[in-house]
Amino acid sequence: MYSIEISNLTKVYNKKKNEVRAINDLTLNISQGIIYGLLGPNGAGKTTLIKILLGIVHPTLGNAKVLGVDINDYSVRRKIGYLPENHKFPQFLTAEGVMKYFAELSGVEITNLDKEIDRLLDLVNMSKWKKTKIKKFSKGMMQRLGLAQALISNPDLIFLDEPTDGVDPIGRKEIRDLLVKLKNDGKTIFLNSHLLSEVELVSDRIAILNKGSLIKEGTVEEITASKQFYIIHLENELPNNIVQNNLKDFTIKKSDNDTNTYECHISDTVELNRLIDILRANNVVIRAVTPQKNTLEDMFISLINKSEQN
Amino acid sequence: MKNILAITKYTFREALSRKIFLVFFSVSTFILLLFLAFFLSTNIDSMIPMLQMQGADSNELVHKIIDSLKVLVVSPLFGVGLFLSIFSAASFIPAMLEKGNIEIILSKPISRSQIIWGKFWGGILIVLLNVAYLIFGLWILIGFKFGLWDVGLLYAIVIITYTFAVLYGLMILIGILTQSSLLAMMSTYLIFFILSPLLTARDKLEMLINNNIVNRVIDGLYYIFPKTSELASYTLNLTIGKNNLELQPILSSFLFLILTIYISIIIFNKKDY
Repeated sequence: MYSIEISNLTKVYNKKKNEVRAINDLTLNISQGIIYGLLGPNGAGKTTLIKILLGIVHPTLGNAKVLGVDINDYSVRRKIGYLPENHKFPQFLTAEGVMKYFAELSGVEITNLDKEIDRLLDLVNMSKWKKTKIKKFSKGMMQRLGLAQALISNPDLIFLDEPTDGVDPIGRKEIRDLLVKLKNDGKTIFLNSHLLSEVELVSDRIAILNKGSLIKEGTVEEITASKQFYIIHLENELPNNIVQNNLKDFTIKKSDNDTNTYECHISDTVELNRLIDILRANNVVIRAVTPQKNTLEDMFISLINKSEQN
Repeated sequence: MKNILAITKYTFREALSRKIFLVFFSVSTFILLLFLAFFLSTNIDSMIPMLQMQGADSNELVHKIIDSLKVLVVSPLFGVGLFLSIFSAASFIPAMLEKGNIEIILSKPISRSQIIWGKFWGGILIVLLNVAYLIFGLWILIGFKFGLWDVGLLYAIVIITYTFAVLYGLMILIGILTQSSLLAMMSTYLIFFILSPLLTARDKLEMLINNNIVNRVIDGLYYIFPKTSELASYTLNLTIGKNNLELQPILSSFLFLILTIYISIIIFNKKDY
């Protein structure tokens, strides 16, 4: 069963006679009980996608379901939590007041609400600010409160748009740990963040959007290992004639740091073995072959650049 | 219904958090205390023989004094009270539509029409309570002082709140369309203070203009826009016991209210945030 099913979704904004395709024929299914990271440069359509799934923005074409229910049915949002980017809460309320307000709007039963509010504020380290007016809160505190608010209805699906924005490194770690805990409790978390390293740390699957289109989707391992990168250490410098005559098919670059070390991009292990065979056949002495893993950031930049060129 | 109540409750709380309604409440309390002090320190019965000597009927005189007291409160309440209420309520919708706030509200299991109705009733409730506090307080004071429990004065609560509701419908529509408190407030003041008084006196205007087409346009505008001037005069008349109510201004104003709310809901339902 999928938490989110998106089928041929398109959103076109008409801005002063200019058409902007925020989402372009997007089809995507997201399983239950995972952390799903959504990545993309500014204007890629990430926030628009979340807003469509929550009924805040209307799609131009296509359809989508959340928790098996069409997005137009607002009653399904009882089981959904949402923390938008740069959220604003009513300034006249205290932290507790904000929680009660959104609990009521979420249709949460009043029984044991106070206990639940205490538990959630404790979870995000905001208990001691419970009775404080939120206009006195810092950005990080607002973010923590926003996260607690998103959990008030004990949702099955949680959308988080830049949840660690303005939060200090310790707070970020706490939020990451909380997301993993929520996942372990069976919740699905849809995470939209600019911080690639953070998404990489917690996400089970990742989608990369650019200009409203899906350009890559998969697990972190699948995405980062899509093109393998090796460092080859040789006994001596590689002779030019071997590079020119025998290694034309390979992308080999001498390392800037060491004359006998080469960086090599290879698509799979078969190709790697072919390269080793050629080097050995030409009496090149290999000291070591070290596989290098691409970071998510490397892959992200490379995929976005490719997508821009296309 | 639960959803509407939740939005109503928090709109009411939002209104309470604004100083202007507290000022309104404080001024009302001050007025009531002034009346109390006046009633305690003045023996109106002792004034009657003096006035009777000038040939006036005592009963009629007491009524005239009471009516003057009522008008003294209700007349400025209609103008100044509504002015302040419009000023304070104009930002209810634009504040709700602010980026970062509306997204969370719309992400909750609540329909967009319920949000509008909740905001509507929340605004009405705060004005109703403020107006009722002053008028009901005055009614009690007059009742105890003169033994007259004339419900005419209480009608002012209904009509002033009704007038606010009609104008608030317009504020909601302008708020949804423009997300601007200033525009919502100015357009409501325009109708309340300029357009409605002008259109009420349309007979005189038409005599001045003497152009058939323009006069028909003025007539059309008269029937479209809310008749706040006529509602003001009904309030005063009912307060002093004159019942000259006509249904047309009340019903056409009600139609205006329904239309503005209906259009607001349609636009709000279609908008992306």
